[in-house]
Amino acid sequence: MKRLAIIIALLVGTVPVLGQETESQPGATPSFSPVTWERLLNAKDEPHNWLMYSGTLDSQHFSRLDQVHNRNVSELELKWAYQIPQLDRAETVPVVVDGVMFITEAPSNVVAVDAATGRQYWRYNHPLPDDLRICCGRNNRGVAILGETLYMSTLDAHLVAIDARTGNLVWDKAVADYRSGYSKTAAPLIVKDEVVTGMAGGEFGVRGFIDSYNAASGELEWRADTIPGPDHPDNQTWAGDSWRTGGSASWITGAYDPDLDLVYWGTGNPGPDWNGDVRMGDNLYSDSALALNHDTGAMEWYFQFTPHDVHDWDAIQVPILADLNMDGQDRKVMMWANRNAFFYTIDRVTGEFLVGKPFAKQTWAEGLDSNGRPIRVPNTSPTPEGTLVSPPVGGGTNWFSPAYSPRTELFYVQAFDGEALYFKRDEDYVEGDRYTGGGQQYNLPMDKYESFIRAIDPKTGDLRWEYEIQPRSTAGLMATAGDLVFSGSVDGYFYALDAVSGEELWHMNVGRMVHSAPMSYAVDGKQYITIAAGNVVYTFGLRD
Amino acid sequence: MPIRSLWTLVAPVCLAALYLVTAPAAPQAQETTENPFTTNLDVRMGQRVFRQQCGRCHGRDAMGGELGPDLTAGFRNSSTDAGLFSIVREGLPNTQMIGISRRSTDQSVWMVVSYLNSLNETIAADLPGNTANGQVVFNGKGNCSSCHMVNGEGGRTGPDLSRVGGRRDPVELVSDLRTPDEDVTPRWWTMRVTQEDGSVVEGLRMNEDTFTLRIMDDDENLWSFSKGSVRSFERDETSSMPSVEGTLTGSEVDDVVAYLFSLRREEN
Repeated sequence: MKRLAIIIALLVGTVPVLGQETESQPGATPSFSPVTWERLLNAKDEPHNWLMYSGTLDSQHFSRLDQVHNRNVSELELKWAYQIPQLDRAETVPVVVDGVMFITEAPSNVVAVDAATGRQYWRYNHPLPDDLRICCGRNNRGVAILGETLYMSTLDAHLVAIDARTGNLVWDKAVADYRSGYSKTAAPLIVKDEVVTGMAGGEFGVRGFIDSYNAASGELEWRADTIPGPDHPDNQTWAGDSWRTGGSASWITGAYDPDLDLVYWGTGNPGPDWNGDVRMGDNLYSDSALALNHDTGAMEWYFQFTPHDVHDWDAIQVPILADLNMDGQDRKVMMWANRNAFFYTIDRVTGEFLVGKPFAKQTWAEGLDSNGRPIRVPNTSPTPEGTLVSPPVGGGTNWFSPAYSPRTELFYVQAFDGEALYFKRDEDYVEGDRYTGGGQQYNLPMDKYESFIRAIDPKTGDLRWEYEIQPRSTAGLMATAGDLVFSGSVDGYFYALDAVSGEELWHMNVGRMVHSAPMSYAVDGKQYITIAAGNVVYTFGLRD
Repeated sequence: MPIRSLWTLVAPVCLAALYLVTAPAAPQAQETTENPFTTNLDVRMGQRVFRQQCGRCHGRDAMGGELGPDLTAGFRNSSTDAGLFSIVREGLPNTQMIGISRRSTDQSVWMVVSYLNSLNETIAADLPGNTANGQVVFNGKGNCSSCHMVNGEGGRTGPDLSRVGGRRDPVELVSDLRTPDEDVTPRWWTMRVTQEDGSVVEGLRMNEDTFTLRIMDDDENLWSFSKGSVRSFERDETSSMPSVEGTLTGSEVDDVVAYLFSLRREEN
């Protein structure tokens, strides 16, 4: 802390505009000002900034900027492109603070650029060991910011604090031992003066958790295990010692309700992924939404979407919070389109199941019972010979951000109507090695399947409209006050749909797979829309 | 000739394949080392390791997956066992190909190399047909070469068959000839586009995405359409190739199969 204080003191003396919290002025150098907790709480009141991974604490991934709208979006043009100096596909959602954009890169780096031009201020390259355990690519999805410090997950399972003005390392905390299979890829979430963060490694027989760290010191405030230990009755939902290697990772960013002081976070698949024989039981709290008291980390409630999952259908989705009037009653709800192909609306105060319907093709459940528990179709578990089931491992949707518009009261999500052969095999756990117990294989060419952007009424789960994507998408979405929905596709398009009707209004060939989510911000009164495609970050704006 | 299940060779995401094409060569430290683990049991053990550690990206049967390319149709970054060993052990710099777990023994890596080699071995087959006769039928009575190219000679309206023997076994080739509609690769579907003025363009589906499509018509003209600028478009997922049933005799089919099966990398 002493070192941080010195750095800040030095900066105060050299940066004349420190403390200015308004938009940067025309002709002036964009200014960065400290991001207080109050600013994060009220992020929707400064829509020219994108202050966290999902935009606001309710994770709606909704921009309140409306300069670009459904009547002029066809005038969008490229303003700048930033080439990431790594070949890995980008999954970053940048954060923008007062004209400065923070972009994370593979493997665990971050760069600060001028948000109006894309030109660099500084970069931080995190040193990594050469024997990482990562299942699915060298990914990083974004930073969190509090005050003048950025917080970032790294592939060696560290949480690092970085000075937002210089890129200097402030502190570096090992969250877990990467040699045991732990890694970190998701953007942390700031809650008050703490950094809430999850972990990855569900394919390596780890035991999951969600942590909260003191933002100033990096000290651990609490840890919520996503698999209860033997002193807890829910530990009985794991046969034998399987809880020790049961996965249930937490590798996407959660949400926070300040009125309830609850942190909401999703958990991943139980491990081994496809062989459930060694972990009989419901395997709590894998594939669940967790509601954690922020002060203590104590679990207020959980909702398990897929008990005893044997298909790798993580509940690793961003929870979207909204207040809805349902059947004449005001409800604080959480909306969740799950990888298991069902959409859920849940009372976020109590965890009560309110609505649940399939939003993508599924063949594994006859439906949901009155508590939201799936009623399974027999003989849909993986076998050595292969069992054909919808959705495939990639899910009806996956980790990429959905969006919600309070203007249309619609929930927008990428939906994939696919299927796959699921295989099971015996596998012994070896610390630090993959521990999955099977696999999957598509049995048809991808062009035979269908993928859609779907708009869902969260009060009923009913489909309002859909827009077909050919062949499919693994990108997140953003809704805007201009009644637009932006997203991308694996075939390299970035596009805008009418949020009310689903009509396509604009598209651009950005050349490579879009595997991130869009975000929007403004500098000097001009709205920009940013998307990472391939390993390039593109920013669009209206023609001058 | 539409190639049944050819999609398994070409459909997986091309991103990782592109990386491999452009990646620098693998470390050469193992170039002079011979693989000491090449028995059938080693191959089976290598398959087990592969499925555990490589299958997620390259597919359970190494035929390509979400991130990794097909490994059953040759290797682009190494021609030796030692080179394969290095790639499996260390990965490929600046690509998504990471090395195998550090905890894996060299023995396990050699076994994976043996498994991968087994997927690329020439299938020993005692075929009833005559290769030379098959080539004559292919270019003559069968009229195959009017659509299919072999080593730069032939038509463009069917798949290039110059290396078809390396990816299709004789049983599959017989099926391809007799029941071409059974499972057509999307590249060889047909699309019919009706333009705003009512004119129709029909041809092979070269590529299609959310907003556009590209086709080759019977005259081998290349067309590109914006889906939003045409009146309608339709897919036909059947094959444009006729069955050989009723056209070729059983022995002629055997001959063509023998000829096609002889077409592989070594013969080129």
